Amino acid sequence: MPDIAISADKLTRRFGKFTAVDEISFEIPYGAIFGFLGANGAGKSTTIRMLCGILEPTSGTGKVGSFDVQTQPEQIKSVIGYVSQRFSLYSDLNVIENLIFYGQIYGLEGAALHHRIKEVLALTGLDHFRQRLAGDLSGGWKQKLAIANALLHKPKIIFLDEPTAGLDPLSRRAIWELLYQLAEGGTSLFVTTHYMEEAERCNTIAFISGGKLLKIGQPSALRQELHDQILEVACQPLMKASRLFLTLEGVRGVTVYGTTLNLNVTDEKAVEARVIAAASKEGIVISSIRPIPASLEDVFSDLDTGRPKEN
Amino acid sequence: MRSIWAIAYKEFIQLARDRRTLGLLIVMPMMQLMIYGYGINTDVKHLPTYVYDQDRSYLSRRLINAFTQSDYFTVKMQARSLPEAYSALDRGLAQSVLVIPPDFTANLVKKKTAQVQLLIDGTDSTPANVALNSSQAIVSAFMQNEKLIPVQVLPIDFRPRLWYNPDLKSTYFMLPGLIGLVLQFLVPMITATAIVREKERGNIEQLLVTPIKPYELILGKIIPYIFVGIFIAVSIITTMHYLFVVPIKGSIITLFSLTLVYLIVCLGIGLWASTVADNQQQASQLVMFLAMPSILLSGFIFPTESMPGWVRDISYFIPMTYFLKIVRGIILKGMGFFDLIDQVVPLLLMAVLVIVFSIKRFSKRMA
Repeated sequence: MPDIAISADKLTRRFGKFTAVDEISFEIPYGAIFGFLGANGAGKSTTIRMLCGILEPTSGTGKVGSFDVQTQPEQIKSVIGYVSQRFSLYSDLNVIENLIFYGQIYGLEGAALHHRIKEVLALTGLDHFRQRLAGDLSGGWKQKLAIANALLHKPKIIFLDEPTAGLDPLSRRAIWELLYQLAEGGTSLFVTTHYMEEAERCNTIAFISGGKLLKIGQPSALRQELHDQILEVACQPLMKASRLFLTLEGVRGVTVYGTTLNLNVTDEKAVEARVIAAASKEGIVISSIRPIPASLEDVFSDLDTGRPKEN
Repeated sequence: MRSIWAIAYKEFIQLARDRRTLGLLIVMPMMQLMIYGYGINTDVKHLPTYVYDQDRSYLSRRLINAFTQSDYFTVKMQARSLPEAYSALDRGLAQSVLVIPPDFTANLVKKKTAQVQLLIDGTDSTPANVALNSSQAIVSAFMQNEKLIPVQVLPIDFRPRLWYNPDLKSTYFMLPGLIGLVLQFLVPMITATAIVREKERGNIEQLLVTPIKPYELILGKIIPYIFVGIFIAVSIITTMHYLFVVPIKGSIITLFSLTLVYLIVCLGIGLWASTVADNQQQASQLVMFLAMPSILLSGFIFPTESMPGWVRDISYFIPMTYFLKIVRGIILKGMGFFDLIDQVVPLLLMAVLVIVFSIKRFSKRMA
């Protein structure tokens, strides 16, 4: 088995004149969690659909498993698992019935099917809900069922389209623990998400905006790039200060965090002096000012600002 | 093969849990049977009639008797004046008024022509026609029986007889036709909504990323509804035969095999509707829209033979037109497969066309 689970090489999809995905390239090894980040309409779903073999790329190539997305979409479908953003199992079938149905679709049967169902139920903790109608499960359990379902045929590659959207923090953590467990077993996971703290959990993250891949790398490395460019200022009154600081030279953005402001700055030392000067002139009391490491949210907003939003 | 069975089995479970659809499947055919079997009776009998007998003689009473004994007319009231009789007609209390003038017997005795008037409410053409025709027969029989015309040897001894449905029972005509009507309505509706439901609830999104092929999905979805269609057909035929005592003259096997062909046409229509509609509501509206002309133009109620040319041309494109001739032919007349070949060939052709076309469309939509 090659080390690379998923690769894309200048993968492009156009709908008429609109380019949804524009020449994106990346490689994901087995056992990795790949975080795919971007705003709504950035091209995440289109990319996933091309990699899953249900949407033909306009140009470029991609490989999933060892199969080509252009020429072998059917083979791809039998080696991948897919967890959709919207719950799309049958809500009027119970947990077991859903699993039996999809197991059969993937060609499992008899004792092997029942053995595998037992395994995925144990893995996801769905044992108690065997006879529960899928529609009656809570959001977190629905998502676990969707994951259990995607695991039936032991795929080595799983696509998860916002698997934690709309879930409470506890359920989200439970889902992520499950994902780690899978990755440890050598499965590669392609995860899209809106949540920055979730992106931090990935081995590699990629930002997509307007169909273009803006940045790709390890979360720590991406944060490093912006390391000395975030200035945390604790001051009063907060809102007045945030408006004032935004007008200063070298400040690219201001984010309010409770009692502090985070300034995205180009030159930390020079801006710090300017901030202190401006504050004293306007009667703003600064209690502390210090450079801090960038969070992924900072990276994300930094990447997304200055780019025209599509639509 | 296994995938087809997996889908069919899943579909059965879903159907068994869907109380509303299940209820519709059982209640609707029975309701239609009751309505057409008991409620709607196109046999015209016992027309309410007012009589204004100014003669009040033995002969006038004999004439009135002749009318009532025919079963076509029932005397509701002896009117005391002409305006009273007319207003009964106006107000719908009577559908016909028999007026016998005071000189009725006198004229007959003098061998002069006596006048008798029958006024008929012509609003509804069916009973009006029956009243018109039967009254003429009643009066000419009356003239012979009372020896009002000389007995003569007729040059033609004309003896019309009714075959297949000698008592002209409308249940004999309507109930076999109901098989066609109910299948045409229910089967496409349930098939279309079952397929569109997967689209509407997003299930299709998950199915698309599995290795399932479009034809497996279609066959798996269709198989349960073939059984549903057979169930509907059997329940109608059984009730019709045992409760309404409509005899089945022809072969049951021919009846079922040709019903199966018609069922496939209905499934195809449902499949097609599912490729056009985006949600279940649209799908059922579309099926209703298609069912309406079928009911009116197929000969279910009005014979296609009496339709103007261009309307009859439309009826040739309606599958039910052929199927009605088939069921009525087999059940009432005992016709065999080859007697019905003119109906069977177009129906088979439609089955093949509609299925091929819908599967093509469906596969394209899925990809």
